[in-house]
Amino acid sequence: MVPQVLFQNRKPDRITTLAEYQAGGGYSALSQVLTRQDPKGLQTLIDEALLLGRGGAAFPMGRKLATVADDAPHPRYLVCNADEMEPGTFKDRVLIHADPHQLIEGMLLAAYAIGADKGLIFIRPEYEGAARILEREIGLAREAGFLGANILGSGVAFDMVVHRSGGRYICGEATAQLNALEGKRPNPRKPPPYPTEKGLWGMPTVTQNVETLCCLPHIVNNGADWFKSLALTSGAAGTKIYQISGKVNRPGCYELPMGIKLSRIIEEYAGGMPAGSTFKACLPGGASTRFMTKDHYDIEMDIDTLRNAGHRLGTAAIMVFDDKTCLVAATVNLITFFARESCGWCTPCREGLPYILDILQRIENGQGQERHIGMLESMARHLWKAYCAFAPGAASPLESLLTYFGDEVRAHITEKKCPFGGREAT
Amino acid sequence: MPKLTIDNREIEVPAGPQVIAAAEQLGIMIPRFCYHPALGAVGACRVCAVKFEEGPVKGIEMSCMVDARDGMRVSTTDPEAVDFRRQVIEWLMLNHPHDCPVCDEGGHCLLQDMTVSGGHGIRRYEGSKRTHMDQDLGPLVQHEMNRCIQCYRCVRFYREYAGYHDLGVMGIGSRVYFGRMESGTLQSPFSGNLIDICPTGVFTDKPSRFIGRRWDFERRPSICIHCSLGCHVTTSVHLREVVRQEARVNPTINGHFICDRGRYGFDYAGHPDRPRMARLHGRNGAPHEALAAARESLAGVSDRHGAGALAVMGGTRGSLETLLALKHLCRKGGWADPVFWLDGRQTRVMKAVAELYRPETAADPMDLATADMILAIGVDPLNEAPMLAPAMRLAARNGGRIFMAHPGPLSLPFAARHLMGSPGAFDRLLSAGVNLLKGPKGEEGLLETTAATAWPDPGAAVEMLRNLQQSKRPVILVGSDLAGVGTVVLAATLARVAAPRQAKVLNVLPGANAMAAALMDESGQAFTDVLTRMETGDVKALVLAECDPLWDFPDRRRLEAAMRSLETLVVLDCVDTAAARLAHILIPTQTVFESGGVYVNAAGRTQRAGTLFTGGLPIRRTGNGGHPPRLFGRDIPGADIPPAWQALWRMAEPDSRLEPEAVLESICLGQPDLLTQQDSGRFPADRIKPAGESREAEADESAEWETGPDAFRLLLADEIFGVEILSSRSPCLQRMEPEPRLWMSATDARELGFNDGGWVQIQSNGATMAVRLTVSGRMTPGFLSLPRLRGSGWQIFDRRSPVLAKRNISRREKGNE
Amino acid sequence: MSIPETLKTEWKCRIQQSDHPRELVVDVLLAIQGQIGYVDDQALREAADWLQVDPLEIEEIATFYTFIYREPVGRYVIHLCDSVICWLGGYDALRNHLCRKLGIALGGTTADGLFTLLPVCCIGYCDRSPAMLINGKVYGPLTEETLDRILSELRVAASDKEL
Ligand SMILES: Cc1cc2nc3c(=O)[nH]c(=O)nc-3n(C[C@H](O)[C@H](O)[C@H](O)COP(=O)(O)O)c2cc1C
Ligand code: SF4
Ligand code: FES
Repeated sequence: MVPQVLFQNRKPDRITTLAEYQAGGGYSALSQVLTRQDPKGLQTLIDEALLLGRGGAAFPMGRKLATVADDAPHPRYLVCNADEMEPGTFKDRVLIHADPHQLIEGMLLAAYAIGADKGLIFIRPEYEGAARILEREIGLAREAGFLGANILGSGVAFDMVVHRSGGRYICGEATAQLNALEGKRPNPRKPPPYPTEKGLWGMPTVTQNVETLCCLPHIVNNGADWFKSLALTSGAAGTKIYQISGKVNRPGCYELPMGIKLSRIIEEYAGGMPAGSTFKACLPGGASTRFMTKDHYDIEMDIDTLRNAGHRLGTAAIMVFDDKTCLVAATVNLITFFARESCGWCTPCREGLPYILDILQRIENGQGQERHIGMLESMARHLWKAYCAFAPGAASPLESLLTYFGDEVRAHITEKKCPFGGREAT
Repeated sequence: MPKLTIDNREIEVPAGPQVIAAAEQLGIMIPRFCYHPALGAVGACRVCAVKFEEGPVKGIEMSCMVDARDGMRVSTTDPEAVDFRRQVIEWLMLNHPHDCPVCDEGGHCLLQDMTVSGGHGIRRYEGSKRTHMDQDLGPLVQHEMNRCIQCYRCVRFYREYAGYHDLGVMGIGSRVYFGRMESGTLQSPFSGNLIDICPTGVFTDKPSRFIGRRWDFERRPSICIHCSLGCHVTTSVHLREVVRQEARVNPTINGHFICDRGRYGFDYAGHPDRPRMARLHGRNGAPHEALAAARESLAGVSDRHGAGALAVMGGTRGSLETLLALKHLCRKGGWADPVFWLDGRQTRVMKAVAELYRPETAADPMDLATADMILAIGVDPLNEAPMLAPAMRLAARNGGRIFMAHPGPLSLPFAARHLMGSPGAFDRLLSAGVNLLKGPKGEEGLLETTAATAWPDPGAAVEMLRNLQQSKRPVILVGSDLAGVGTVVLAATLARVAAPRQAKVLNVLPGANAMAAALMDESGQAFTDVLTRMETGDVKALVLAECDPLWDFPDRRRLEAAMRSLETLVVLDCVDTAAARLAHILIPTQTVFESGGVYVNAAGRTQRAGTLFTGGLPIRRTGNGGHPPRLFGRDIPGADIPPAWQALWRMAEPDSRLEPEAVLESICLGQPDLLTQQDSGRFPADRIKPAGESREAEADESAEWETGPDAFRLLLADEIFGVEILSSRSPCLQRMEPEPRLWMSATDARELGFNDGGWVQIQSNGATMAVRLTVSGRMTPGFLSLPRLRGSGWQIFDRRSPVLAKRNISRREKGNE
Repeated sequence: MSIPETLKTEWKCRIQQSDHPRELVVDVLLAIQGQIGYVDDQALREAADWLQVDPLEIEEIATFYTFIYREPVGRYVIHLCDSVICWLGGYDALRNHLCRKLGIALGGTTADGLFTLLPVCCIGYCDRSPAMLINGKVYGPLTEETLDRILSELRVAASDKEL
């Protein structure tokens, strides 16, 4: 068994209680920073730990915190992004259900680092169970003195609330989420100003993913070097909650060292492919990453390695497709998702995606034409010039389908039918 | 000053504007849909993509989202950028209905232009289109949602710029819908601007639907004469009929927009009832006949009763030429100078306004937008000078604080502190400001002691004064209805005292050319003086030039009786007013669209409205509906109507053979450059007569407003639609008129036992009027407000702001039978 | 259906206490929906009144989100996940099965007002795919047999409540 950090308290059937969390050393990181560390020092620690955002964009958390000016006005906000609507992704849910106080303490630490006054956990409506757990445990933490006007007698004040979403993928995008939190239509915002300067209600705001925040207590307790040593590859840091689903025997959430090989995740942890299936492709980090092929089967699954290979780790939600699955049909499904969820703000996303969907469907139905391929290629390229990162995300599976599986796409066109026998998956 | 290169041409621009705006200065129009200079950049449509070749930004980016910076090298013709823009257009056209042949926007459609110039000519999309249901948005704006390209301009204008909430965006993705919650008339009196800013045909001009293509129209610049601001418009004429108006950009007055009164108020020009023939004692005739008859008639009165038996009134909607010609007529005949104002109070106020006018401290309407503090005294911007409202909203959005001293009610599309109180306290409030700024700097407690007596609510006064003290660009806005001479004087004094803070003042005036009238008024008389002499029989003949006192005089019965007793009533007008119908001699005149003319707006800007067409009967009407509508002859039927100034000149100088230019020169009272004054230049205050000395406040007028506990002061208020005479002729605007309501404070309603929405009856001068009551927290106790709405029967009062005894208001069961 | 007074007082109070009342829009709508099933026009106006905004401003939000219903729904709202992992796991067959069993198409509500069937994008239970959500509760991995069982259990539960 590899070292379990974020999942150290995970139980098969229930949450970790406050008492259990404390018994395992919980909230010691909090009391430690409150008494022994200034916010800047904490920021430096996070920076040195090379903690990269786990919500998909992999932005260094330390660098983000540093952009909150020392004299920035109050109230300052910390937003915990628990929207998790990226298809294939479910780690944040598991983390909250496993160990809610780990997240609460993580938020407290992040809040301390930027002098935040209020925390908001933005959570998707499908996770109502998690929302209730959080509300209850936040109350218990408050009773225990970890939250409120005078945390553990330190004079530091911070409190948090759970904010329920009405459910839309775009709400996960950090700036759209700010609009959602304000009760506005959740269209993204374009910096400048950056949210760390003018975010929620025009005040300095830092947004972090659940998993990112959950790393903080452990970094404070064990140090930056320890955190880096958790990773298998140099330059990477920490463990990673890999989610694996699709054509594998044991779909689920596995905490593994950052940089573990894809093949090991599939074979050792996910129980390999079902009998009779062979690996054809996977999306390594959610619907908005590029397909990886057999050639990537042994790739080390960390942020830099994937980036250098022209890919993205995204949310590390690995979705496995076997050789019996039509990837055109799979892409039709993915683009349907994106077209449905587009917020409607900018043209490429709003109009481009339905157009692409129309063409892909034609190809899948055997009505495709050679010229469609060129159209798809150029539109996939043009999607990159959208207003936010949503459309480039949508372009990723499409573009990689054309790049790696062009023959499969062409076969649909020349055979005038889906070589896999139609859209229905097996 | 960043220096950059766009398409190999260098340009230096002041820091701030986006690349798209910098390019515009070079004459390079980068395609755009969502970007609009007045609404800013939001980067939604993505059609303004250009290639940044060198400098701080690299690659394909949106030119509206990148500020021009030093060292940038930008190409708008880069193949990659062109290709991307073509793609964007194709995307935007996916769901477009391609109904250009039946779309009113066709021919001036930005989407059409971009589709053609962007190189998207061949349709590749094979899918089905999403479609929407349209809404009925009322009489002004037509809705056709399928044409939408989702640039969000409409909501950004309607919500953010204009401050109204009943138009928005619903749904998500490619199904977003721009409209109202359900069909219904748009509530914003600026809704017509949707037509101008929508880059395609979603919002089109409803009254002029299917009349013609823009290229069929004679489109010329003009000036709006429906209030004293003088907004710039572009007017379209089609087959001798004004058919449509659009906003014309003017950075000092109206920015990019106009109000709906200005946009749709033109129907009087082609109205079926418009006088097209002269009327002489009940029979129709040619204008020149009527002129001769009028001359004769007036000479007869003068011969019989002396020159003192003649009186002349000029309208503030007349051009400067008309006002000057009118004066010339009076002087030539040896009659008293023309009067311009209804009552003595207005006469004195306007005299003060004219004397105190200083180009240096005169605020233009758009100066309000950049003010950091606005003190408005007795002004209801939305109803009196509508385009002030969006300008004030800009100020509020930029953090400016706005204080509105007004007895109420006010409905404002921006955040402001409403200082409710009697106009009797206006002067104290202004004096407090003057004393504070004049007083020794930094003196402890000066502000509080000054505020203590300044206003019924001292807390509000403290807040106002503190903001005034801290402001760097205050503007004082003064109305002319509730303000007295003292108010006008004190406002000017305050602006002078605050001059180091670049303070400015703007007086909202009654009428498009009220400023010109005020500058040249030397009679010192009001129409009420004339009326009294009509009643005593001293005045036997009245000439009304483009005005109708019957329209807005508070006591209509009295006036009508006096007018009926005249020996001679001569009316020159382009609308069939009540006075025109009473006239013994009616001389039809041209409208501003036909004659053009010079107007001096409230800010003292001289502006020339151009001649748009030669006039004459609209072709639609000449053939009695037959097609082709043909009359055979060399002249344009109905084109023999003169401009008012020419008619007046010919009345004064029957034997003159002067050409029009020479006429204009000779009516300019020795200052011929008056009328050639550069367009939109400040009107020099010393043109007509020496400016008055700066005045100190005169006698305290506050007592005038006191009524005692048993009476109300009734404000006869302006209303955006249904009060101004010209625009009230437009059928589409008539449908926008609100139901008349009497506004009463909640305190008073409680005392009298009246309910909101209930019917009441007002008795005054032996006449009665029934009206429904609105009980409002925005009304100062002791005051009532009633709009001077057309046809509401409001003209039963002895004066403006009459005193109304409480016992003269009673509950009644229902409205007028 | 009208909104209970208690709900009204509770929310008006919360709105009053909030520094930024607008942030409660979605909560208010979800709460109303929890009481009366969906947000009808009257409820929407009511919410606008509580929050002191134009009803249209609520409509703009309500029509944006997946989990706010502006049209009547059945007692049980089935959100069947149609995203890629559930699709791999047999979404199409399950959907067909459900439609057949319930006698409705996607988006429809059964005549007895018991079930509404809606497709939904990935609900974050890919480890239990194919999955669905019924009134907030997750079910998965689904087969045609488990679907049948769930439907009949819910039918029984509904009739129990009626008794
Ligand atoms: C379309 C879109 C959806 C996103 N959804 C999520 C999400 O559900 N959860 C999340 O944490 N980040 C999401 N992100 C990334 C956020 O914008 C942001 O980068 C992240 O929350 C920052 O936290 P981190 O640095 O801790 O990862 C999304 C981004 C995009 C463009
Ligand atoms: S209606 Fe017109 S202005 Fe509004 S989004 Fe559509 S195209 Fe733009
Ligand atoms: S004009 Fe720049 S994105 Fe629309």
